[in-house]
Amino acid sequence: MSQYYPTMGLEIHAELLTNSKVFCTCSAEFGGEPNSRCCPVCSGLPGTLPVLNQKAVEYIIKAGYVMNCDISRFTKWDRKNYFYPDLPKAYQISQMPRPVCLSGHVDVNVNGEDKVIRINRIHLEEDAGKLVHDDVNRISLADYNRCGIPLIEIVTEPDFHSADEVIAFFEKIKLLLQYAGICDCKMEQGSIRCDVNISIAPKGSNELGTRTELKNLNSLKAIARAIEAEIERQEELLDNGERVIQQTRRFNEQTGETVAMRSKEDAHDYRYFPDPDIPPILFTEEELDAIRESIPELPEQRVRRYVEEFSIKKADADIIVGDKRICDFFDAAIAEYNNPKAVANYIIVELMRRINLGEADMDALKFGGKEFAQLVEFMQNDKVSQANAKTILREMIENGGDPKSIADRDDLWIKEDSGALAAVVDEIIANNPKAVEQYKSGDQKVFGFFMGQANKALKGAASPKAIQDYIRKKLSE
Amino acid sequence: MELTRAKIRDLRKALDAKEIGAAELCKEYLKQIEEKDGRLLSYITVTKEKALSDAENAQKIIDAGKASALTGIPLAVKDNICIDGVRTTCASRMLENFIPPYNATVIEKLNEQGYVLLGRASMDEFAMGGSTQTSAFAKTKNPYDLERVPGGSSGGSAAVVAASLAPAALGSDTGGSIRQPSSFCGVTGIKPTYGRVSRYGLVAFASSLDQIGPICNDARDCAIMLNAICGYDRHDATSAKVDTPDFTEKLGQPIKGMKIALPKEFYEGVDDNVRACVTDAAKELEKQGAVLVECSMPGLKYAIPAYYLIACAEAASNLSRFDGIKYGFRGEGRTYEELIRDSRSKGFGEEVKRRILLGNYALSSGYYDAYYKKALALKQEIIKEYNDIFEQADVILTPTAPTPAYKIGAQDNDPVKMYQADICTVTVNIAKLPGISTTCGYTADGGLPIGMSIIGKRFDEATVLQVADAFEQGFVPVSPKL
Amino acid sequence: MAIELKTIEHLCELSKLNYDEAGLQKVMGEMGDIIGLMDEIKSFDLTYDDTKDGNEIRFGDTREDVAEESFPAEKLLSNAENTDGCYVVPKVVE
Repeated sequence: MSQYYPTMGLEIHAELLTNSKVFCTCSAEFGGEPNSRCCPVCSGLPGTLPVLNQKAVEYIIKAGYVMNCDISRFTKWDRKNYFYPDLPKAYQISQMPRPVCLSGHVDVNVNGEDKVIRINRIHLEEDAGKLVHDDVNRISLADYNRCGIPLIEIVTEPDFHSADEVIAFFEKIKLLLQYAGICDCKMEQGSIRCDVNISIAPKGSNELGTRTELKNLNSLKAIARAIEAEIERQEELLDNGERVIQQTRRFNEQTGETVAMRSKEDAHDYRYFPDPDIPPILFTEEELDAIRESIPELPEQRVRRYVEEFSIKKADADIIVGDKRICDFFDAAIAEYNNPKAVANYIIVELMRRINLGEADMDALKFGGKEFAQLVEFMQNDKVSQANAKTILREMIENGGDPKSIADRDDLWIKEDSGALAAVVDEIIANNPKAVEQYKSGDQKVFGFFMGQANKALKGAASPKAIQDYIRKKLSE
Repeated sequence: MELTRAKIRDLRKALDAKEIGAAELCKEYLKQIEEKDGRLLSYITVTKEKALSDAENAQKIIDAGKASALTGIPLAVKDNICIDGVRTTCASRMLENFIPPYNATVIEKLNEQGYVLLGRASMDEFAMGGSTQTSAFAKTKNPYDLERVPGGSSGGSAAVVAASLAPAALGSDTGGSIRQPSSFCGVTGIKPTYGRVSRYGLVAFASSLDQIGPICNDARDCAIMLNAICGYDRHDATSAKVDTPDFTEKLGQPIKGMKIALPKEFYEGVDDNVRACVTDAAKELEKQGAVLVECSMPGLKYAIPAYYLIACAEAASNLSRFDGIKYGFRGEGRTYEELIRDSRSKGFGEEVKRRILLGNYALSSGYYDAYYKKALALKQEIIKEYNDIFEQADVILTPTAPTPAYKIGAQDNDPVKMYQADICTVTVNIAKLPGISTTCGYTADGGLPIGMSIIGKRFDEATVLQVADAFEQGFVPVSPKL
Repeated sequence: MAIELKTIEHLCELSKLNYDEAGLQKVMGEMGDIIGLMDEIKSFDLTYDDTKDGNEIRFGDTREDVAEESFPAEKLLSNAENTDGCYVVPKVVE
């Protein structure tokens, strides 16, 4: 048992889902050919000026409301000055003394326990470009497509004491941002990023230790591993009578260790001052109310609605709402076939199983909620057997298409006429006189044997109920 | 055609009456430039080919009967306003070969009218200075005395107009850079209200103070130029969403009953010649029926540090983008750090470097509150003091500069002296007001022009122009002999 | 007013400027004089209130979120050393 107690705070950067960049009219989409989503403004040409995007401001206000922050009625922008080749103006437009959002809080559930994480502030700023390093020629190549993509920075209070708490909170923030329509939260594309400030102190101590900052953590796994590794490293230092040095470190995924980044000594005097190119903004209560009212349904409200209106189990609702893509899929499905329980059940039991097995990918699904709903409906109405439904779903995952065409093409429907059923069951009964005998002498278990044989032979051409009824009828003759 | 002190409106008449073609007019100016600019050094670049093709294009518009005020009018543009495809140096080694890929908004507006670009007027490097002697390429001389400075930073723009090497020019004014050279060169220049003219495409010196404006032969031509370049611009968030009036509207209206304030601090510590000249001009305006109002501006004594702290803080940040990577002088270095240091150290001149150092000093941790924040407090105080004066007056009359044009070299190696010489103009930028400088006399001994400034309420350029014009109507300017 | 060597060195670092020994001595003297002039402001006794600048705009006056066509990359790069559509930067020491 460790004798130290870790304390952590987070800085989360999230790119906003605006059409255009925060200070110019270039597209804010991810990617693109190098420097193809740039203009004189975001490339930092002399003489150009930033013009603030209203939507970006609207989104940060929404983020503030979602995280229970106070929204400033007066907000302004500052320049953070530092030289780096991914920052063409050599200053980042950000917010220092007057951020849009202050002092909020977010409730999280960590392994069944409720906890409140306090938000210090949320401010709006611009993203920097990307550098690709060419070690052979000892050069770097700068691409400014990402320059000027609007970014919010969420700064928490140092309220975390374990990696689990950090992960639970980060997941919660992702969901909130996704449901509010603020950020798509694709960590792999860097649209949400998390820096962790971390220190340890002897248990029972009231003072915080010297902290380090972990940067460039690009997956949930990396966050958790980096935290564990850094706590361990700091513990070792203190155990050996050494000191923790305040520095920025990055996580090496290969070695599983954190390494100090050689940052320049002057990097900390950013010389913030109000950006004279961007006037401060005043909000009216009406404007703020309108923004607050336009926030879409948030995860907790959704879970509550699913449970109350659809009688879905809370645990199931949590699973569906826990992934916005699945939840959107669910909504599309129940719009087609209004049987939320059945749809939810089949999503969790079958679709998510396939996703977890790596057979399906929510980001590249070849069919929509509508087609999925049709499949569930066929199953519910005894038009397709469960086994054949699985076959159809597999086909949809692999090649797309709608369940009706697939069932037509591969002859997977339950047949309405009982001719085939009668022939198959009659033959089974005729071939198994011993089993018939057993059943008639009261051994009900043998009924399952007949069902299994019939199912196998019929390949879903008859519904289980029809088979059951017919076997029962024949055996009691 | 006689080009000496030719007015835009006279050239307009001549062009519309087909007394002269746009190309012919352009060539006449180019000839003047060729003959005289070798001595004056007012242009950094003469854009001969573009001028001729601009003129050809303008003639088509004129022939089609669609001419507007500036169609076919040859103009000089200060070398810190970006023109697509035309080298824009800011008079700095740093941008010696910089060719902007876009147009400043003012250039777009002039293009719409079919203006003719004669060339790029010299200036102090990055508009930092009051003499045009910090220019890396053309240390312009004063047309009235080639041993003297033309003022600055828009010294090239003022000199071309004074020497009739263009009928008008665009300049920029951060702390007096249009008005002071206008005063030194005996021409008329106006700094509009902050926000009146888009700054988009003006290479920034100090963003909260910079403003583009015209330098012309008189206030009437300034009004014509303002009509062309003013207006809200969606590319500049600090440009004002206010109506643009017709700036010629009030010209010629009597100034009877107008209240003109003379804040006493502006008249202290200025050259005797200057004080006498401006005071006489005030009496002349009084004769026309204006009422002179005595007043005071106590904050003026802090104006120089307040101005330099704000301007240089912004400049230090604005000029950080010049790192040799994206454009501009690329120095040597194996690493990024070495390259940017080398580029900046070799690309910037000494005055620019001093201001960057000062700006970073004012913003750096531990000094911010004592310097930069204090300067912002002073800015609020100066605005308040101006508001108080405008409670009792319509315009303010001050000298434009403490002295007439001084000898080249007189302020070298003395930045403090150089900074103090801006005392009469900087508060107008700090308070975002419009101010015009027009000639009110000449020194008895050397015949050097002396300028006075008329400062108006925000967005009241029309009245400022009206008063300057009222004075000009009874004043006979003396042209320099070159 | 004299300015310390370490102050001027720090300013050069922030400004990314190099001076040779003679240049540094010269600029130290000049900056001392300039800061002396700036120090006059210290006797001015008022505090700054950033909400009283009167330059705010209304939220509704900010730019509508409409993406427009970007600029041709080759035009943006025309003043720069470039390759593969990117700006060429000497290796950043990290």
